[in-house]
Amino acid sequence: MAESSQSKSGGKKRPRSESEGDPDADADAASLQSIQLENDLNFTDTAIALQMMKAQFPKLDKVVVRPFILRSQLYSSVKDRTQVDRDLESLKKEAVVRVFKLNTGKDDHAIMFMDDYLAQMENAVKRYDAKDKQLSDVFDWFKQYVIKSKTDVSISHPELCSLLSNGGDVTEKHVTLLINAGLLTRQLIDQNLYWFVIPNIGSILKGLSQGRKELLSLINRTKYKEMVLANLEKKRLRLSPLDIRFHIRDLIGSGLLKTVQSPIGLLIRLSRD
Amino acid sequence: MGLRKQVMIVLARASCNELGRLLKNQGRSDMRPREGQARPAQPNKHFVWSRVGFVFRLVCSSRLRRGGREELYMWTWKALNQREDGSLRPSAFRRGVVSSRASSLQLSNAKEFISLHRGAINSLEIDSTEGEGRYLLSAASDGTVAVFDTHRPTSSSSSSSSSTSIAQHHPLFHLPRAHKFAISRALWYPIDTGLFITASFDHYVKLWDTNSTQVVLDYKLPAKVYGIAMSSIATSHSLIATATADVQVRLCDLASGAFAHTLSGHRDGVMSLEWSSSTEFVLITGGCDGAIRFWDIRRPGTFLLLDQSLSQLGTRPSLLPTPTPSNNESTSLPASSKSSSSTPILPAQKRRSHKKIQLKPPTQSSHPGMASSQNRATAHYGAVNGLRATADGFYLLSSGSDSRLRLWDIESGRNTLVNYEAMSIQTSKPIQLAVTPDSSLVFVPCMASLKAYDLWSGTTINTYRGHYESVNCCFFNAQDQELYTGSNDRQILVWSPSIPAATQIEEADSKGGITSIDQDNWSD
Repeated sequence: MAESSQSKSGGKKRPRSESEGDPDADADAASLQSIQLENDLNFTDTAIALQMMKAQFPKLDKVVVRPFILRSQLYSSVKDRTQVDRDLESLKKEAVVRVFKLNTGKDDHAIMFMDDYLAQMENAVKRYDAKDKQLSDVFDWFKQYVIKSKTDVSISHPELCSLLSNGGDVTEKHVTLLINAGLLTRQLIDQNLYWFVIPNIGSILKGLSQGRKELLSLINRTKYKEMVLANLEKKRLRLSPLDIRFHIRDLIGSGLLKTVQSPIGLLIRLSRD
Repeated sequence: MGLRKQVMIVLARASCNELGRLLKNQGRSDMRPREGQARPAQPNKHFVWSRVGFVFRLVCSSRLRRGGREELYMWTWKALNQREDGSLRPSAFRRGVVSSRASSLQLSNAKEFISLHRGAINSLEIDSTEGEGRYLLSAASDGTVAVFDTHRPTSSSSSSSSSTSIAQHHPLFHLPRAHKFAISRALWYPIDTGLFITASFDHYVKLWDTNSTQVVLDYKLPAKVYGIAMSSIATSHSLIATATADVQVRLCDLASGAFAHTLSGHRDGVMSLEWSSSTEFVLITGGCDGAIRFWDIRRPGTFLLLDQSLSQLGTRPSLLPTPTPSNNESTSLPASSKSSSSTPILPAQKRRSHKKIQLKPPTQSSHPGMASSQNRATAHYGAVNGLRATADGFYLLSSGSDSRLRLWDIESGRNTLVNYEAMSIQTSKPIQLAVTPDSSLVFVPCMASLKAYDLWSGTTINTYRGHYESVNCCFFNAQDQELYTGSNDRQILVWSPSIPAATQIEEADSKGGITSIDQDNWSD
């Protein structure tokens, strides 16, 4: 795609106005298409932003994980948040992307393309060798029945069992196997609800929350709680394997940082309250 | 010119800086209204409006807000012309003026309330008598209740530097020991101001006579009371619904002085509740478990539970006219154990004919009340600490401690997915939201500031910073388009539409020397 090659060669985060400019330019053509083919909306601002950010996902050396995008990053690059939510909803229903709720912070969601997620799941299953070969059928049942039909972020226990039993007899051990392999988890909010997760992502999530704190403290330590974006991008975070562009986008989208235009360029400022 | 000058004073638009900039940049000629000529930079199509009220509300209010202040100014001049020659009806003109005033609120420099509370202010309410919302009831964490008269000041302080004096409103009465512990909510009796009701953390709900300031009735509840509500449209019952830390919602009957019945279904305490503004038998409660439940009090059990993962996709067209793939065939969500009925049985609620509703086949359940207790759908990822229905009864706003504000379509029970930009909502206390009666703006207390959002698109219109600590409650006075906010710093602040530059310039003119609006430095 044109923009993805452009962004790879760019190598630095384009400021917000530019990144809106590109999706907008494409979206004009896209919206023209959409007016003509009313029911067939494949190309929207959100989809283009997702592709762009997937291409900019940092290369990690220790862990192999397919690119995922945080929801707050989407908010920072597409202007209309309601439109982002609605587009995401329709992309979810079409099974193009999958949304996961993360346990870092209040309302974090990660978005991953479906084929990336399936590849990640295959890797995880391969790496996890089940003791009992019979039980490992559950992974296929999971992929075939549960993922295809349930597009939410969570699933309740009776529903999980009923969907899995389309493949065969399901016992508690099967569900335990799924949890141990890292495909499902429980969160503190509700004991009877299972949440879908991206397997093998734990260390990155830890890096995410620590990197956020480090970036915020970096800006907090400056005298006026602001920093020029060009200088900020050159810094490296000690505690997070993800690069600083990732964190900047995420924090802008969640409202903790804001961008200000100034004569010397774009400034990143800590937003009060 | 007389009418225009008077209306300029009345209209309350544009601050002094704006006007000065306009005068300097564009010269005198732009200030004079010209027949049918708008500023060349802005296209005229933004001011296309229809006479139909609903479309007007959407088109005009959203367009007006997106345009700049200059556009608004030119709109008012154009509207005046049209009003004069009769092409604009008075109701439409009034709506435009009211919405422009509501979106230009600033900390008032003409009015203030002297609050004698020694604790955080938890609740503010103006009585809802017809045509005159005059008395402000405030309740605080130190167990005190006070009533203020918003129309007539008790004294005025004049500062020597400016010629304007601030009207001070002292409380008409202040009850120092109304409750033993903090009062979480105080309500006027919906019919008149003869009674008011207070609910407190000392497990009591008390009914007071306003004239004698004595307790007439009290109800003892099993846990601390987070909120109370009375239906303002009720004609056949006078029930006070109470939300406590206990899982059951109790209805207290005013007429008999006893408890009418209890509604159980929540899995944790109930933090906020609200009666429906369209029917008198429907109660909406939001709990600490994150669920929002709709109860019809004439039958047992919840008939509708709001689920944040069920969105409007495929059931209704979106609110704003943007291209979305709304007609999507794959709307069939997998059959789940949830008893979510998309056709709630609401008696005597007229459906809007111009919105299609796709009926889902009703899921089989033996008894609606029994099935819903296992329904674990959540509306928020944290506690639901604020609920507010729009005045027309079609939409519900809910705020949660996950710092999200969600807009729900009541008739279908779906999440409209309108995203209100980043906010941070305090998690421990119930907060009070406010919505303008024409459903255009929503005011949300966010920590130490108050944010105003456009209801349909979710963009931030304004942030009101004036309190020193976190804001707990806000109330929008629709009569005067004023906003009252109460916070932990024991103050009640008044936010009123900004005073136009004309009055300030004219007052200065009376002292001599400064030019009035009609003259320039170079006019002779």
